[in-house]
Amino acid sequence: MNIKLRYILSAVLLTGSCQWLTVSAQSVIDLIKKHPAYASCNYDIYPDSITAKLTPAPAGKKPFYISHYGRHGSRYISNRSGYDTPYYMMQHADSLEELTPTGEQVMRHMNSIMHDTEGRWGELTGYGKKQMQDIGRRMVQNFPEVLHPGAHVTCISTIVPRCIESMGSAAMEMLQACPQLKITMQASKRTQWYMNYQDRQLRRNYMTPEAQKAFDAYTATRMGNSRLMELVFKNPDIVKEFVNEEDFSYYLMKMGLFQLNTNYNRNTNLIGLFNTNDLYRMWQVDNVYWYIQHGACKLNGGNQPYSQRYLLKQIIADADSCLKLADPGAQLRFGHETVLLPLICLIGVNGYDLATDNLDDLEARGWWCSSAFPMAGNLQFIFYRSNPKDKDVLIKVLLNEEEATLPIATDCAPYYHWADFRQYCLNKLAGYKK
Amino acid sequence: MKKLLVFIVTVATAFSCIKAQSVVKELQADVNRAAGMFYALPIGKMPKDTPPPAGKKPFYINHYGCPGSYYLDKKEYYDETFATLTKADSLGKLTKLGKDVLRRIQLLYQDAHNREGELTQVGARQSRDMVKQLIERYPDMFTTDGYYSVRSIVENRSIMTMQEGLLQLSAMRQPIVIRSKASMQELKFMDPTDDLLTSQRLDSVTRIHYNRFVSLNSSDNRLMQSLFNDPYYVVSNIDAAKLSLQLFILAGNVQHANIDKKITLWNIFTPEEIHQHWRKQNAWHYINYGGCTLNGGYQAYLQRTVLRNMIHMGDSVVKRVNPLMHLRYTREHVIMSLACIMELDNCGLHTDNLDSLEAYGWANYRIAPLGGSIAMIHYRTNPSDTDVLVKVLLNGQEARLPIKSDCAPYYHWNDVKRYYLRKLYRYENRRFNFKKK
Repeated sequence: MNIKLRYILSAVLLTGSCQWLTVSAQSVIDLIKKHPAYASCNYDIYPDSITAKLTPAPAGKKPFYISHYGRHGSRYISNRSGYDTPYYMMQHADSLEELTPTGEQVMRHMNSIMHDTEGRWGELTGYGKKQMQDIGRRMVQNFPEVLHPGAHVTCISTIVPRCIESMGSAAMEMLQACPQLKITMQASKRTQWYMNYQDRQLRRNYMTPEAQKAFDAYTATRMGNSRLMELVFKNPDIVKEFVNEEDFSYYLMKMGLFQLNTNYNRNTNLIGLFNTNDLYRMWQVDNVYWYIQHGACKLNGGNQPYSQRYLLKQIIADADSCLKLADPGAQLRFGHETVLLPLICLIGVNGYDLATDNLDDLEARGWWCSSAFPMAGNLQFIFYRSNPKDKDVLIKVLLNEEEATLPIATDCAPYYHWADFRQYCLNKLAGYKK
Repeated sequence: MKKLLVFIVTVATAFSCIKAQSVVKELQADVNRAAGMFYALPIGKMPKDTPPPAGKKPFYINHYGCPGSYYLDKKEYYDETFATLTKADSLGKLTKLGKDVLRRIQLLYQDAHNREGELTQVGARQSRDMVKQLIERYPDMFTTDGYYSVRSIVENRSIMTMQEGLLQLSAMRQPIVIRSKASMQELKFMDPTDDLLTSQRLDSVTRIHYNRFVSLNSSDNRLMQSLFNDPYYVVSNIDAAKLSLQLFILAGNVQHANIDKKITLWNIFTPEEIHQHWRKQNAWHYINYGGCTLNGGYQAYLQRTVLRNMIHMGDSVVKRVNPLMHLRYTREHVIMSLACIMELDNCGLHTDNLDSLEAYGWANYRIAPLGGSIAMIHYRTNPSDTDVLVKVLLNGQEARLPIKSDCAPYYHWNDVKRYYLRKLYRYENRRFNFKKK
């Protein structure tokens, strides 16, 4: 009751304090209404088709080089612990005959999901392969000047099987679109230092006492789901001894939404247990959590995005050497969301470099992690020039294949001058002190 | 039964004595073969196909393959060898040759650094060449209405081998429907385990025989003398047998490295030493994966589910109208045991005499080198043809099956199926009804 009261109170306060905030909050809800998967943040699904139009290049400029970092496609959940949490709670309740008829049905769906996922932890799904194929095909279709017969495509993957398969799926489909591409693939420990760098120092220290306090305050009103408890358990008060309401609701919701990533969307029945508001609240909590972990959150010093400093340096170094070539082709890198998100924040694509200590700001100011790193999410730098001697190289950044903004000035948006961007990045990297 | 087998083998020996010299010759022709299961099989020229009986056309390719050439999993081979020689060098114990070997090991060490188990460029090439050859050899099998399903175990080098092959397929045929999968769910028929058989692998009798075989086939003194200038240092600091083996393994690995053709390690061994080392490795593989009767002769049955899957798939596609292919990439030893249980060519050998392997033509590099494969090609005249014929390719070459046929190397599918299923049932009966008997 108390929680409910606080929730209503804060909701009233929120709507009362500033009108524009509610407007923007509405749109996340709209997105979730349309695509429930949006609520599951890093388990969100890449769009089936890309509708956004691409702006033609300034006169005379032609694309000549593509540099890319992409996340693997839809996968099964990485390990079973996320599923075990609600599953054990349900089994415990079942053994005490504490499940309602709905609860028993939920249990059956959970059984079927667990059975389907067994032995596939972390595996790329058929859906994931298709996403990667689509991305590869569209890349060839959109930039035939770069990916022409005979062009070189260098693919590098982390050493995680789902990334290797993602790389293979994209490359395979690129060859369907242009069979004469010269594609090489590599998955080596040697490139892990920038392809999948996890900065232990930064990772260990993201949850500072200030961040924890703010996070707890933010989530206090948003976790829990007494309606669900009533629905599933005969006596919610009794099962509370071994069912943690917040964890149960959170993980069960994830379990349901995760199924949208599998081939043919197998068994998505659990999603029906939750209403849009439940999903929305979970999204809010997750979004804030991802921000604290990987965004420029002032509560922990704002340095988390620098975990990807080596990757950004490598992207610049690769571009530096490729720009010297007459026909450099493309460099595609396949990795993980825990790299892609901080990279996007570090560069400041679409304002993801937002630095704030007010967690309520995120949603209002468009820091929505699901839009940055769904399954198969990717960042592409398309390089343009009129000829190999042209010194004024332009770039365009595509976030999930849609034109994105950079935090620097330009006279030809969505195109930016490479030299400006390069300098901006180098300055920013130089400013980082461990 | 065992006696009968031994008898058959003895008779077979008489015929295959001609082969006795051929390992030596084959090693002379390409010393890299001495690397055994680490020999990177060159795909080479397209083998000649015996024309199929009139009217029969291929409609199904059922394949199991090894990964392509890869860097050793155990980095100790590079690290320890490098450390041993570096230490000796710092104490001034290396000869001029020893110093040069250290230089070569350093190059290898640097090339392999942080690449343990990774598919090499040679391996990528092999995989693409294999698929290319398959397409050129059976062009009618690769059509837009065909279905191509490719699987790998969850092991990066195998997945990479699969993906490289897929790129070749994709580049040569458009549009084409390809499905790929690398899942732990399929271990049962991709890379099965069997605790009982594994536990029986190296019983005391086998171990004694193998150790004796090793000591009879070891002479590391000459090599040590050529590398170190101080015999006392060798005696008190160097495990000669171990170092010699490590150098031999590394010599076989130069072919995979990016520095191949720039250096070799084979020339620190005499041809006899290379042959000896190979014999030890070959015997080891025979004991572990072949039909060695010392440990019961059943080790190859570890792959019975793989063979069963092969038969099952062959049977379930009989009515299919459009061409179909299953490629499955797994470990080398799966292929080796599969070849043995299928008794391809000389692979089915059962003996307890480790000295005789060569005479019988049982040589690891012929069976399951890196990039190697077993492919069963199914033929028929049309989808309603009930007399399906199959031909088995071992590493691309037509193989002999232990089954009667009026059209070898083509065999009647029904005979093949019956023979192998009976074989598997015999084994399973023996094993699982043991107590009843």
